[in-house]
Amino acid sequence: MTRKQRRITLIGVSLGVLAVAVGLVLSALKDSIVFFNSPTDVLEKHVAAGTRIRLGGLVSPGSLERNDNMQVRFQVTDGNHAVTVAYQGLLPDLFREGQGVVTEGALDPAGVFRADTVLAKHDENYMPKEVADSLKKQGHWKDDYDKKGGTAGKATP
Amino acid sequence: MIPELGHYALVLAFALSLIQATVPIYGARSNDAALMSVAAPTALAQFVFVALSFIALIACYVTSDFSVATTFENSHSAMPLVYKITSAWGNHEGSMLLWVLILAAFGALVALFGNNLPPTLKANVLGVQSWIAAAFFLFILLTSNPFARLADAPLEGRDLNPLLQDLGLAIHPPLLYLGYVGFSISFSFAIAALIEGRIDAAWARWVRPWTLLAWMFLTIGIAMGSYWAYYELGWGGWWFWDPVENASFMPWLAGTALLHSALVMEKRNALKVWTLLLAILAFSLSLLGTFLVRSGVLTSVHTFASDPLRGVFILAILVVFIGGAFSLFAWRAPLLKQGGLFAPVSREGALVLNNLFLTTCCATVFVGTLYPLALEALTGEKISVGAPFFNATFWPLFVPLLIAMPFGPLMAWKRGDVLGVTQRLFGAFALALVGIAATYAVTTGGPVLAPFAIGLAIFVVGGAFVDLIERTGLGKLPLPVTLKRAAGLPRSAWGGAIAHLGIGITVFGIVCETNWASERIAAVKPQETISLRGYDLTFEGLTQRRGPNYTEQLGTFVVRSGGVEIGTLQPSKRSFASRGSATSEAALLTRGVSQLYISLGDPGAGGSVTVRLYHKPLVLLIWLGAVVMFLGGGLSLSDRRLRVGAPKPAKIKPSLQPAE
Amino acid sequence: MTLWFLLAIMTGAAVFAVLWPLGRRAALPSGGYDVRVYRDQLDEIGRDRAAGRIGEAEAEAARIEVSRRLLAAAEHETSEPVVTGPGRKRVVALAALVLLPLLSGGLYLTLGSPSLPGQPLMARAKAPEASSVEQLVAQVEAHLANNPQDGRGWEVVAPVYMTLGRYEDAVRALRNSVTYNGPTATRETDLGEAMVAESRGVVTLEAKQTFQRALTLDPREPRARYFLGLSAQQEGRMAEAVATWRDLIASAPADAPWVPFVREELARAEGAPQQAAPGPNADQMAAAAEMDPQQRQQMIAGMVEGLAEKLRKDGSDFEGWLRLVRAYTVLGERDKAKSAAADARRAVAGDTDKIQQLDALLKGLGLES
Repeated sequence: MTRKQRRITLIGVSLGVLAVAVGLVLSALKDSIVFFNSPTDVLEKHVAAGTRIRLGGLVSPGSLERNDNMQVRFQVTDGNHAVTVAYQGLLPDLFREGQGVVTEGALDPAGVFRADTVLAKHDENYMPKEVADSLKKQGHWKDDYDKKGGTAGKATP
Repeated sequence: MIPELGHYALVLAFALSLIQATVPIYGARSNDAALMSVAAPTALAQFVFVALSFIALIACYVTSDFSVATTFENSHSAMPLVYKITSAWGNHEGSMLLWVLILAAFGALVALFGNNLPPTLKANVLGVQSWIAAAFFLFILLTSNPFARLADAPLEGRDLNPLLQDLGLAIHPPLLYLGYVGFSISFSFAIAALIEGRIDAAWARWVRPWTLLAWMFLTIGIAMGSYWAYYELGWGGWWFWDPVENASFMPWLAGTALLHSALVMEKRNALKVWTLLLAILAFSLSLLGTFLVRSGVLTSVHTFASDPLRGVFILAILVVFIGGAFSLFAWRAPLLKQGGLFAPVSREGALVLNNLFLTTCCATVFVGTLYPLALEALTGEKISVGAPFFNATFWPLFVPLLIAMPFGPLMAWKRGDVLGVTQRLFGAFALALVGIAATYAVTTGGPVLAPFAIGLAIFVVGGAFVDLIERTGLGKLPLPVTLKRAAGLPRSAWGGAIAHLGIGITVFGIVCETNWASERIAAVKPQETISLRGYDLTFEGLTQRRGPNYTEQLGTFVVRSGGVEIGTLQPSKRSFASRGSATSEAALLTRGVSQLYISLGDPGAGGSVTVRLYHKPLVLLIWLGAVVMFLGGGLSLSDRRLRVGAPKPAKIKPSLQPAE
Repeated sequence: MTLWFLLAIMTGAAVFAVLWPLGRRAALPSGGYDVRVYRDQLDEIGRDRAAGRIGEAEAEAARIEVSRRLLAAAEHETSEPVVTGPGRKRVVALAALVLLPLLSGGLYLTLGSPSLPGQPLMARAKAPEASSVEQLVAQVEAHLANNPQDGRGWEVVAPVYMTLGRYEDAVRALRNSVTYNGPTATRETDLGEAMVAESRGVVTLEAKQTFQRALTLDPREPRARYFLGLSAQQEGRMAEAVATWRDLIASAPADAPWVPFVREELARAEGAPQQAAPGPNADQMAAAAEMDPQQRQQMIAGMVEGLAEKLRKDGSDFEGWLRLVRAYTVLGERDKAKSAAADARRAVAGDTDKIQQLDALLKGLGLES
């Protein structure tokens, strides 16, 4: 093989691997990314039942219901609208009424959000960024959150 | 006084870094030996002052000096001593100080042990290293000063984030930083080479031990972080493809590629431009990781800071260094002479393939990590790219790499013979087939491909042994000869094989854990028994216990296997009064390399409690593999051919002697 | 002073680190750095060949390649002479002597706080308490205003509020403490006690519920049991009060300091006849139990007026005075309670022991002027 042929082989193989990688990335981006929505988004955009999304907001104080078999229901609100979330399993340590939460799942035909993942990765001076942003957008940042934050925590899980 | 001394030491280190960043490089350009010789003492002094500063900060934490703002924010007088110390770097300011401490430490190491380097190269490397240091000193002093004071010391501190009150944290960030920041040396070597416009096989030999050192620490640091997440977050997951994890994984992929391409460069004087590029890339990715973690653009527990000024400052550092490095690269690289011919099928070819796959893997992780940020910046649309994305892109690219891995070390340089190598790997193939068959026979359920994945892992492990067996002639030659050969084999050869073995072990653990882990969530009442995978756990009840700065509810479970009591598990839920937050402490029972994992959920009526119970078969192999990789790297590093010059006073003229 | 001295030493050390290498006679670079690497590589090829790890042809090819590099390196080494200029040295030395201290000094004076001493916890604990309690409270309040979820802070500040008589604040602090630290019997009881103090000695419904919560957490909590007894007494359920307190005394550890106090209350509730003081007798109590609230109030008021009348005639019954003050408070007539207290003070003038007892009661009821 000449030097040129070798180089062409090398470049060919590289391009092949890159093409495969690009293909994988594109197909994965199509199938496996999840959009973040606030309750207002869910209602305004008419998110179809069964579409996998992330829903984030504050857990409405007083909305948490615990039933048998580790079924829980609570409302996620952004101050304007609220969506009922149903979840089966253990809630994370930092899950509190009145505080930020991100849930992942899909709406069922009745409009209840069936979550399979509940994330509450925050402490008292941290709130999930998406939630903070969407609250700011809804104009419920600070005053609203702080007020709720002040009385939150009664439903210690 | 102590905080002020620490503060001043930091300022002095900054001033010294400015001298170190200019004088030696000027000296190297004008070939002035005196100016170049300034580099080493200033690098040492810079390190000493940063170390003093860091010690002063720790002293503030240990003595609960709440007149220091960061101490007040992140410490509490009731914390155990060890967490008082670790909380010094469990926050943004302190962790940045640790970052520059390690940066300065690597500079000092080059100053001490770099006597085998030509003076101009050494001066340039230390100079470039000091540019990075100066930028970060300024960043710390202006935006993240750990020594900012409060005029009236509050009575009590606000305590450390409970998630971080753990021994894993004590070791994980320093190790991770040793790796991450260690690549700064490879970067400085690359920039120095570009400045000098000269790069050759000797350069690769000089840079390799430093890269290897950084790689070792990064490997073990990532593994520690993963283990910490596994037992502290209480979900039983060990890798979440979280942006922060990716931020440390990308430099690892690039650094691993760099280690292999530097090998080609050292032996064959080829792939020079590519190696330089990787050296720049590895540290650029470290800087990017620092930016992602420290600027607060991500959502993660690791993000302590969300001060926009900090984000902009680090972004500026990022742009200047990465942009500058790549500009220099684009300008200088075409001037470098190409050398070393090789056929596509050869050891070099295999290493190129390795580089190709590693960098492509790195690129997919990069896309997955940054795509959400870019999309949000451009369209405002918020998305999350989670594990499904990475599993769909990373593994299809990593598996071919694993298949090719055993072939590489058996190939000859320049021109290899795939067929011959395949024949030599027959043993490993056979072992893998037996593994696949055995897995089919033993397991029920699980994905169809799982046994093949096991086979692949066995193949990688077997391949690592084939290399060693062939080199020592085990089985073909009489045993004493074999042993003599084994002893005579260069340690770097052992190191390489052992590191490959480590990869195989980790993959084996990952395959087992992902395919055959079982999970159970249940509500148990006292004296009730739950079973999982042949283990019976009897719940003995909840008790309250008081720790130094928390109270905890402790569940006691007696574990029996086949009626025989084998241990007690005590998972707990801690609530930290001063932060008003809680953590779950999972309890682990180790059986061989498998683990039984239990974490407490919410207490229910009648003394019952919900628990998450996992059985994780062979899960420890995931991290043991990383330890094996670390040891392999260490063995390779101890090879005397890589060993860097011992510290010698510069006065004594190094005599020219044959190195062997 | 020590600080400045140490800072000066550190600066000196930093300057020295730059001057020292300049002052030394520069060691001439020995050269041959890459040559050594290539020699090593040649040796390695030799060893590999000797061990039979590579064939002769490959070894030869590799040797030729490395030798070529060796030659190129040797050529490169000799091509650059080393110079050193005294002028440049002087410039650098000057920069180190002048700019380094100026820069670091200037930067430090802008950023640092040299006048602030370190304040480690130990030193602060030993230092004479310079700041008054109010200042400390103000500090904690400022901290809590920014960190309203700091349960520990609330718990620390609550008893201070209690001793300062700021019961409303104490209730708020304890509520937060319960919220953020989680409910315990002690915290709930503290909260209930603060509520009682806030309502001037009356066990309100809310306080009662709080004590009941405390007892669900720890049925033995003595203070909660005492206050529930008091609540029963205030609501006129004397039998219940007596039973509760008897129970409490019976289950008390022998050396519990509060036992005599409860005994006293119990004795009074039982209407112990050692005093002529008219406590409601069993019949009256039975009657009271059947009355509607208004009637009960009237009956109690009547009894209180009787007591007041009696004391106005004969002020020597100190226990009677105390009971009267407490009774007025319970009825919400604070002014009358205060004037009764003033009368009592006159009646026992000179007896410091009794005045102290009276003051303690007034404080407990939040009546001190």
